[in-house]
Amino acid sequence: MAQPEIGKKTHTKVEDQPSLKGTLASVFLLGFFLIVTWLGVFFLFVDRF
Amino acid sequence: MHIHKFEKIWLIFGVTTLIIFLTVIGVSAFYLGNQPPSCLATVNPENVDTTAPFNEPGLKKVEGKEWDYELVFVASAFSYNPGKVEVPLGAKVKVIATTKDVIHGFEVAGTNINMMLEPGFISEYVTTFDKAGEFLIVCNEYCGVGHHTMTSKIEVIE
Repeated sequence: MAQPEIGKKTHTKVEDQPSLKGTLASVFLLGFFLIVTWLGVFFLFVDRF
Repeated sequence: MHIHKFEKIWLIFGVTTLIIFLTVIGVSAFYLGNQPPSCLATVNPENVDTTAPFNEPGLKKVEGKEWDYELVFVASAFSYNPGKVEVPLGAKVKVIATTKDVIHGFEVAGTNINMMLEPGFISEYVTTFDKAGEFLIVCNEYCGVGHHTMTSKIEVIE
């Protein structure tokens, strides 16, 4: 009996890398927050006697 | 080992900022010579009143040192001696303080002068008073029932 599905190849798209865009954005958001607060305290320290 | 491109980016970013922060601390300590306020200088807490410089609390002009004045404070429950002191604007001052009894704090509000005074140890801080005005000194280490009344004042005058 003919098997019509046998000749068809189903293509399953597999991403070779997971998307990390959101992770990148949140890492840099945290990074810049740390830098801004660190600089704020540092300049406060430098400005005071 | 495979590392995602984004992972490389934030690893480099994180390591770089860490190196910058640590470099700033290193320069502050080893090039500018910053150190903890209480750095191995000791005094017998029972003889504070008879030991120089604590036998004469207050502002004193000194010659031949890196600073122009020495400002000596003696703390005890629940006051500072002197209770008020005037410092000329722009003077480079070494603040020298200790305590006669328990642990006290020595915070000049709104400045970087913030030290812990421990019995038996001398706390020091060198700074240039470059802003005129009145500065409140408060005790920020709980020292007993009169802790909240323990204050002094520095007046920076032109």
